[in-house]
Amino acid sequence: MAKQGLTATSAFLHWKPVANSNLTVDARETLTMASFAAAKGKKDELNAAVRAAYGVDLPKTPSRVEGQQGVAFVWAGPEQWLAVAERKDGRDLETEFKKTFGPLASVVDQSDGRVVVRISGPRAREVLAKGIPLDLHETAFRPGSAAITHASHIGVILWQIDDKPTYEVALFRSYVDSFAHWLLDSAAEYGVAHA
Amino acid sequence: MATPGHRSGTGSQPNRLDRGGLIDRSRTIRFTFDGKTYTGHPGDTLASALLANGVVLTGRSFKYHRPRGILSAGSEEPNALVELRDGARREPNTKATMAELFDGLSATSQNRWPSLEFDVMSINSLLSPVFVAGFYYKTFMWPSALWEKLYEPMIRRAAGLGRASDDADPDTYDKATAFADVLVIGAGSAGLMAALSAARTGARVILVDENAALGGRAIDDAAEIDGKPAADWVRSVETELSQAKNVRILRRTTAFGAYDGGTYGAVERVSDHLPKAAEGAPRQRLWRLVAKQTVLASGATERPIVFGGNDRPGVMLAGAVRTYLNRFGVAPGQRAVVFTNNDYGATTVTALKRAGVDVVALVDSRPELSEQVKRIAGEAGTKLISGGVVTGAVGKKRVTGVTIQTRTDDEIKLECDLVAVSGGWNPNIQLTTHQGSRPVWNDTLHCFLPGVLPHGMSLAGAVAGDLALHKALAGGATAGASAATSTGRQATPTAVPKAAEESEAITPLWRVKNPNGKAFVDQQNDVTASDVELAEREGFRAVEHLKRYTTLGMATDQGRTANVNALAIMAEITGRSIPETGITVARPPYTPVALGALAGHHREKNFKPTRLPPSYRWAKEQGAVFVETGLWLRPAYFPRPGEKDWLETVKREVTTVRSAVGICDVSTLGKVDLQGADAAAFLDKIYMNGLKTLGIGKARYGGMLREDGIFLDDGTVARFGENHYFITTTTANAVKAVQHMEYCHQWLFPEMDVQIVSATEQWAQYAVAGPKSRELLQKVVDPEFDITDAGFNYLQVGEITVCGGIKARLYRLSFSGERAYEIGVPARYGDALIRRLMEAGQEFGACAYGTEALGVMRIEKGHISGPELNGTTTPRDVGLGGMVSSKKDFIGHVLGKRPGLTDPDRPTLVGFRPVDRQARLRSGAHFIARDAVPSASTDEGYMTSVAFSPSNGHWVGLGFLKRGPDRIGEIVRAYDPVRGGDTLVEVVSPVFVDPEGVRVRG
Repeated sequence: MAKQGLTATSAFLHWKPVANSNLTVDARETLTMASFAAAKGKKDELNAAVRAAYGVDLPKTPSRVEGQQGVAFVWAGPEQWLAVAERKDGRDLETEFKKTFGPLASVVDQSDGRVVVRISGPRAREVLAKGIPLDLHETAFRPGSAAITHASHIGVILWQIDDKPTYEVALFRSYVDSFAHWLLDSAAEYGVAHA
Repeated sequence: MATPGHRSGTGSQPNRLDRGGLIDRSRTIRFTFDGKTYTGHPGDTLASALLANGVVLTGRSFKYHRPRGILSAGSEEPNALVELRDGARREPNTKATMAELFDGLSATSQNRWPSLEFDVMSINSLLSPVFVAGFYYKTFMWPSALWEKLYEPMIRRAAGLGRASDDADPDTYDKATAFADVLVIGAGSAGLMAALSAARTGARVILVDENAALGGRAIDDAAEIDGKPAADWVRSVETELSQAKNVRILRRTTAFGAYDGGTYGAVERVSDHLPKAAEGAPRQRLWRLVAKQTVLASGATERPIVFGGNDRPGVMLAGAVRTYLNRFGVAPGQRAVVFTNNDYGATTVTALKRAGVDVVALVDSRPELSEQVKRIAGEAGTKLISGGVVTGAVGKKRVTGVTIQTRTDDEIKLECDLVAVSGGWNPNIQLTTHQGSRPVWNDTLHCFLPGVLPHGMSLAGAVAGDLALHKALAGGATAGASAATSTGRQATPTAVPKAAEESEAITPLWRVKNPNGKAFVDQQNDVTASDVELAEREGFRAVEHLKRYTTLGMATDQGRTANVNALAIMAEITGRSIPETGITVARPPYTPVALGALAGHHREKNFKPTRLPPSYRWAKEQGAVFVETGLWLRPAYFPRPGEKDWLETVKREVTTVRSAVGICDVSTLGKVDLQGADAAAFLDKIYMNGLKTLGIGKARYGGMLREDGIFLDDGTVARFGENHYFITTTTANAVKAVQHMEYCHQWLFPEMDVQIVSATEQWAQYAVAGPKSRELLQKVVDPEFDITDAGFNYLQVGEITVCGGIKARLYRLSFSGERAYEIGVPARYGDALIRRLMEAGQEFGACAYGTEALGVMRIEKGHISGPELNGTTTPRDVGLGGMVSSKKDFIGHVLGKRPGLTDPDRPTLVGFRPVDRQARLRSGAHFIARDAVPSASTDEGYMTSVAFSPSNGHWVGLGFLKRGPDRIGEIVRAYDPVRGGDTLVEVVSPVFVDPEGVRVRG
């Protein structure tokens, strides 16, 4: 009999957290995530199921809402969402949603497919402006706003958490090294030492 | 600003005035030019500091190597180009007029040898009859072989500009995007007023200016605004704008291009004014500015008058003379002649006088003088020559005098060391023409004004024809407020500050008749008035032809001091009006943009993103050699000590798989999760083969066609539940295949209940292939899952757990032709799983294998891949015609039946082996009959994939041969003239290993 268990490995190969008065950057590696899409003609029933279980309506425009039970729902396309929650106590949104939504939605685990980077601080907006071609000004993109866009040629889902401002960027796992390189290069002029 | 005073006249900076200018006199900084050390002050440009030090000779001209000095004080400078900085940071063709002075700056003159003072190539000037317009085309006609070897190198040595550094650029460059309600381009008086009135409405404003300091010509002319020096007013506006949260000021930033949708390209010279960029700071930043409304306040560029020797150092644009006096506190000469055809030019006399410069004469070409000119000459006590012209500037390395032709055709000679010349002003309309709009000639102002403006753009100041300060201020206020109003803001009128009413009167004069000496139209390209005449004589009368025949208007200054004069001269010669003659329109960029700025952080390895597969870290530890496949970095092979080349390694990897077991990271394959009540029906539409009968827990090969019947991609379709499928695509086509599926769902079959989600990155997936693969897997798969052949046979799939409860998926698929599996775990366990598999595989002699061995084994098995699915082949071409369903409709079905695609003569997939078993095969070789003469008409197909087959002990190949499957056993030539190959090959079955397919089933 073989050895039991496998050790999870960080997606962040060349990475160090950034924390100064201008900017903090953290890798969030303790998330469970799932993509889900409404079955044809079931979006209202699905919304009712989400409301019953998590106390919120699913967003219908590019935005993010925080529900109960620590789950946030990010719009990811027409009748599609990405749900994000902390992976504590073995929580697995794919399993949870399949049970909760049944045939109302198709659910796909993305906990490993995507990684999330949190970028926060007075310079966060300027750093993101170096790769994301969207207007992130406080009057145009607010806490709760979300966008499917790209950062330095890497496809991302972006959402804003608060007005510090704090943003989170979800990207495919294999791009993490290139993303980190761009991010640290772009943050260098705000006193962030390069990895 | 204090009134400029007299020169100090002695010691360092002899031409620096005692006071005045926006320079910091409290600090003295040092710089070198051609190795000699000089001093200047912060706030200087290299040009102003050179002039302060009495240096007027700054370079040699492009073609004739004539001595040249500083003509202008801005980005239009054609002459004063230097190599700035040393070593890896050396930048050629830098305009001395735009280079801000810093302590330790070093600059070198260009295009001279051995020295600026003595340049042997100035002999070209004596040969000038040879170097007239079109000389490239006329002189070196024959023999053509000498072009590359002799003429071109010779011309390049003689005519080049500066030298770029050979070293890698040590600086970093940045890119960023910014958005605005109102973008204001140019921070002169009009731009400042526009920004101010827009900002006061609360609109988000971006103000850009190519200079370090704001204020533009109001500062250069030491004008008064609201009864105070313009500098005071500029400072107060700058303070208000800097403190406004809704305003961003970008200094040293040139808006170089106008693009669709209110998008502008701009380059910010973040650190060019510093000896070295601050830690972490970029040298330059490329801005993408997106604005709802844009106020273009880009000003105007003064044009010279074309006369003999008008390129001598010491001949300078009148406006530039005022700039050096007023902005920099420098007197560019001691005895000046002012030559003008307009009232504004005449004000230079006053500025010179105030600085204590002797003005020998004011030469005004207009016979009838305005009150303003008379007053200026009177107040200055300067000799006024009305209706006269300067016919020539004399002197060698600097002007020593002028010849003047009076109204009565008398010639006067005057001594001077500075000629300030003004032929009027050309509005800087370039950004208005970037989207194809043509400028319009204005007969009152005698200049081109913008035609139809790009959407969302308005004009203010000189670019709109409002040269006078009082008009520019008023126009700016209006334009800023109305731009803000267009974005939904409420504007209350901003008070327009007072400025004296100035006269803009002008009577055009483009060139003087009978010039005394060579009269230059384009100083950067050494194009003379007689070159324009020659072009006309030879038929190059259209402005576009004139430009290309003479090279006029090209290079770093884009002919900003040359173009209008040239076409006005052409109009004069041909007897047409200027609008009839036309104008060339500008393309981006307005001024040169460094390639580094366009690249930003995307250089070298970071040119594009790299994707790392889950086993990357482990493979790197193993010393794997990697290959780029698309964006992915995949292990190509895993060399072991003692292996002499890649072929030996690959042979060992193949042999291990075929005799024991090997492990390969196949996570890069595209993976798509497909769910929904209509998932099966949807798959039937997008795949050519029948998938309806695919049972739960089974997988099947699937071929996807384009609408036109050509193969798009292939992969496997696995069914995990009633309405749940999991599809793989090739690595290379993963994105395209998902796009295709999304398109089919959203546009062709929107009624279907289907949900498509890319899951490529969720799973780390490894192929475990070889006779021992099952035994190896049994070491990691949890024992409750039966993976014996009875419980898990070929093409079966299942959700399992490994290593004590880790969720996983197992697929019994084979690309190698051996018994094989693919095992997937959540990507975070990918690194741990490959280590565990390798550890468990030790007892079976397992090895890791890369894309090379993968490729060899698929060729040995006759499996198609990228080289066969090359966008021109049909299912039949690749030997899969039998798989195409005739029982259903699917994408590609109808158009795939076109006669051209079903022609039995189409080259079709077969295998090849060399008749001489030692011979090497090469893909790309074309097949011809043994006795045929190679030509397009005897071509019968081509080789697509080759490999040395360890299993056969010789090279094997796949390729497309006309009626290939009917010709098994025939010998043909594999003809490869590009690499000198001509090999006899035997046509064989494409399956070189285990043709009965026994091994995959175990």
